[in-house]
Amino acid sequence: MMRTRFISAAAVAAAAALAITGCTGSSGDQASDVKPATSGSVTWWGWTPDTPVAEKYIAEFNKEYPDITVTYKNFENVDYRNTITPALDSGKGPDVFDLSPAGGSPDLWGPYALDLTSLAKDTLGDGWKDQIGGSYVKQLTSSDGRFVSLPLGGMSAGFLWYNKDILDKAGAKVPTDYNSWVDTCKKVTAIGKTCFTMGAGGTDTFPTEMYHSIANTVDPDFFIKAATGKAKWNDEQGQKVLEIIKKMKDDGIIPPNALDGPQYPLANNEFMKGDAAMVQMGFWYTQYAGAESCKASMEAAGVSNPTCFVQLPAQFPDVAGEGHKSTYFGEADYGLAINSESKNIGAAKTFVSWMTMNKTGQQNVANALDLLPALKGTTPDWSNITLVDEAVQRPAIETLIKESGETTESRQWQTTQKSLDAIVVAIQQVLDPSVNKSIKSIADDQQASSEASKVGTK
Amino acid sequence: MTVTDLEIGSDRQTPVVKGGGRPKRRARLLPGGLRWILPAFAISVGLIYYSIIYSGYLSFFSWPGGRALMTPVGFGNYISALADPVLWTSLRNTIIYFVVVFIVQVAGGTLFAAAMHSKIRFANLYKVLVVIPVVVAPATLAPAHVEVWQSDGTVNSILGFFGLSALQQPWIGQSTTSLLVVTLVGCWDAIGYGFILIYAGMAQIDPELIEAGRLDGAGNFRVLFSIVLPTLRPIIVSLAILNFITALKLFDSPWLITQGGPAHSSEFLGTMIYAETASSDRNLGYASALSILVLIIAIAVSVFMQLRGRERLTRTKPRRKEAADV
Repeated sequence: MMRTRFISAAAVAAAAALAITGCTGSSGDQASDVKPATSGSVTWWGWTPDTPVAEKYIAEFNKEYPDITVTYKNFENVDYRNTITPALDSGKGPDVFDLSPAGGSPDLWGPYALDLTSLAKDTLGDGWKDQIGGSYVKQLTSSDGRFVSLPLGGMSAGFLWYNKDILDKAGAKVPTDYNSWVDTCKKVTAIGKTCFTMGAGGTDTFPTEMYHSIANTVDPDFFIKAATGKAKWNDEQGQKVLEIIKKMKDDGIIPPNALDGPQYPLANNEFMKGDAAMVQMGFWYTQYAGAESCKASMEAAGVSNPTCFVQLPAQFPDVAGEGHKSTYFGEADYGLAINSESKNIGAAKTFVSWMTMNKTGQQNVANALDLLPALKGTTPDWSNITLVDEAVQRPAIETLIKESGETTESRQWQTTQKSLDAIVVAIQQVLDPSVNKSIKSIADDQQASSEASKVGTK
Repeated sequence: MTVTDLEIGSDRQTPVVKGGGRPKRRARLLPGGLRWILPAFAISVGLIYYSIIYSGYLSFFSWPGGRALMTPVGFGNYISALADPVLWTSLRNTIIYFVVVFIVQVAGGTLFAAAMHSKIRFANLYKVLVVIPVVVAPATLAPAHVEVWQSDGTVNSILGFFGLSALQQPWIGQSTTSLLVVTLVGCWDAIGYGFILIYAGMAQIDPELIEAGRLDGAGNFRVLFSIVLPTLRPIIVSLAILNFITALKLFDSPWLITQGGPAHSSEFLGTMIYAETASSDRNLGYASALSILVLIIAIAVSVFMQLRGRERLTRTKPRRKEAADV
C-alpha cells in the first residue's frame, strides 16, 4: 500500500515537473519557428529610449498593428543590468529586451535570446546583412555565432556640441586646435560663462570619450591598439594623452569642478541650462536640436519656461597638433532581443521586425534624431522635424549623420570594462589637484589595471 | 534559545488537570509553538543564511550571472581581492570612518544627552532636531550634501563670504577631502542615533548615585567620567559594534555623494562590491568573495569587542564589591 502510494506520488511529481518545464516556454529551436503574429501583447524592457520616445514608436507601430499591445518599461542603466538577469532566469522576464554590444552583453544575455538570423533573412532576404549598417550584425552576434539582437540603430561619438548663442555673444569661434580652444575659453569666461563643461567624477565611463578623442589626435590607431592589447596604455602616446588632459586643466579648458560629479547630471545640466558653451556628447544629443525636445531637456535640467538655444556639433579640436583629424567612433547603440521563453513570440517578432527592419519603423528612429537608423538608406524626414534654427542646424546635422555613417572605429565594443575603468581613474588622478603622481606613474597604473579585449580581433 | 522559550511558554499554557492529574504531554505542544516561529525562522534561515552560504559558493567561481558559464577559480577571487590595492584603500577608509564617526557619535551623543537631562528650555525641539538626520533616508539627503560640498556649493560660498577664499576646495572632487566629506556626513547622521541610546542609558542611572558623588565633592566632569560614562559602557560597546558593522557595509552615502571617487579615494567595501555587481562585465564571483571577507571581518571584530567588553566587566566587578565592602 505504502509502496503504491509512493510510486503514485513520484509519478505525480514527475508529471508536474514535466508540465512545469513545458510551461516555462518553448525551446529555442521551436521558438525560432514561430511565425510573426498580428495580435497579442508584448512587454519591452530597456534602459533606452526614454519613455516618451518609446511611446511614440509604439503609437506608430499600433497604426499598422492595432491588435498588438506593447508595454514599455524604462530602467536606469545599472538597475536594468541588475533586474534583467534574475527576471529572465525566473521565466518572468519581458518578451523583448534591449541588448547592446557593450561589455560582452551578447554573451551574457544572448543565451536568453532567440537567434534572429532566420527572422532577418525572412524579412530582408538573403542579402540581409548588407542592408544593416556599420558592423552592427557582427557586434550583436554572440561568440557562439548566434545573432541575438536586431539593431535599432547606431551611435557615434568623439565630437563636441556647442551653444552657438554663447559663442556669438562672446565673439568666440569654434575651436579647431589647442590654441584656438584656449582663446575661445578666455572669451567665453570673460562673459561669465563656463567654456567647456565636463563631469569626470564617479565611476561613469563618459570621460573615456575625451581620452579617445585626444588619443585620435595623437595617433589615430593608438586607442583600439591599446584596448586590444596591441599597444600599452603607458606607451608614449598614452602618456601624451594624459599630458594634454593635464594641460587642458591648467589652461582652463577643463573646468575645476570636473570631478564634482559624473557627466550626467553635472555636464548635461550645465550645458542644457545655458551656463556652458561646450560639452562632449555623442550622436544622441542631436535630439536636443529639435524645438520640442530642447525645451523638455532644458526643463529637465532645471530651467523654467526655457527659451531654446541653437546647439551644433563640432569636430573635436586637434589638441595634439599632429595634424590628425580626430575621427569619430561608434557602434550599434542597442538592439532588440526576443526572450526565447516568451509566451508571445509571434507578436514579439512582429514588433521587433517592424522596429528594426521596416522602413516606417526605422523612419521613426531617424526622425527622433536619437540614433543612426540601422537600416541602410534611412534618413530623417525633415518635413516632420522642427529644429530650433533649421537653416543653421540642418546642414550641420546632415554632415554629422554622413560622417557618423562612415565611422569604422568602435566606441566601447572592443574595450573591456576594466580598461574603461582604468582610463577613468587615470583621468581623475590627472585632474585631481591633490594627487602628486607623475604622468608616467599614472599611465603605468592604468596599464596595470587594464585588461585587453579579444573582441573583434580575429 | 528559541526552543527553551517555547517550552516555557508552552508550560504556562498547559491547563492544570483537576484532581492532580498529569498535565498534557509537552511533546504535543512543541509543534504548535514551532508553527508560530516558522515564518521568521524560514525567512532568516531561508534567505539570510542561504544567501551567505550561496555567496560563499559563488566566491569560488568566475561568473557574470545568468546562464553564463561558471568557471571554477578556487581561491583565485580571494587572492585577487587581497592583491587589489582598492580593497586596502577601502579597508583603510572603513577604519578611519569607524574611528571618527564613533568618537564623534559618543562625544556628541553624550553632550546632547547630558544637555537634555538638564533643565533647558525647548528641550523637546532640540531632541527633534538632533534625531531628524537619523530618520531621513540618506538617498533623500545626498543631493543636499552634494550641493553643500561641491566646488560652487554652500561651504565654499561661506568661506568666500568670510574672506577665507584660500580655504576653498573642490571638497568632493579631490582625493584628500572626499573621504572627509563622506565621514562628516556619517557623523552628522550618527550623533542622533548615539543621542537616543545614551539619553535612554542616562535615564537609567540612579539619581542617588550622582547625588552621592556630588556630596563627595564631585564636579560635573567628575560625575560624567566617574559615574555616567562607566555606567554607559555597555551602550558604548554596543555603539562601537554597530558603528563598525555600519562602516563595513557602508554604501549609500559614499555612492550617492562621491561614487567612491575620485580615483577610489572614498571607496568602501560596500561601494566596491556594488561596483562589481553593477558594471557591464559583472563579476559576481569576485563580488561574493569580497562579501565573504566583509562577513569574516564583521564576525571577528564583533567577537573581539564583545570579549573585550566582558573582560572589562569582570575586571570592574570585584573592584565595585571591594568598594561596597568599604
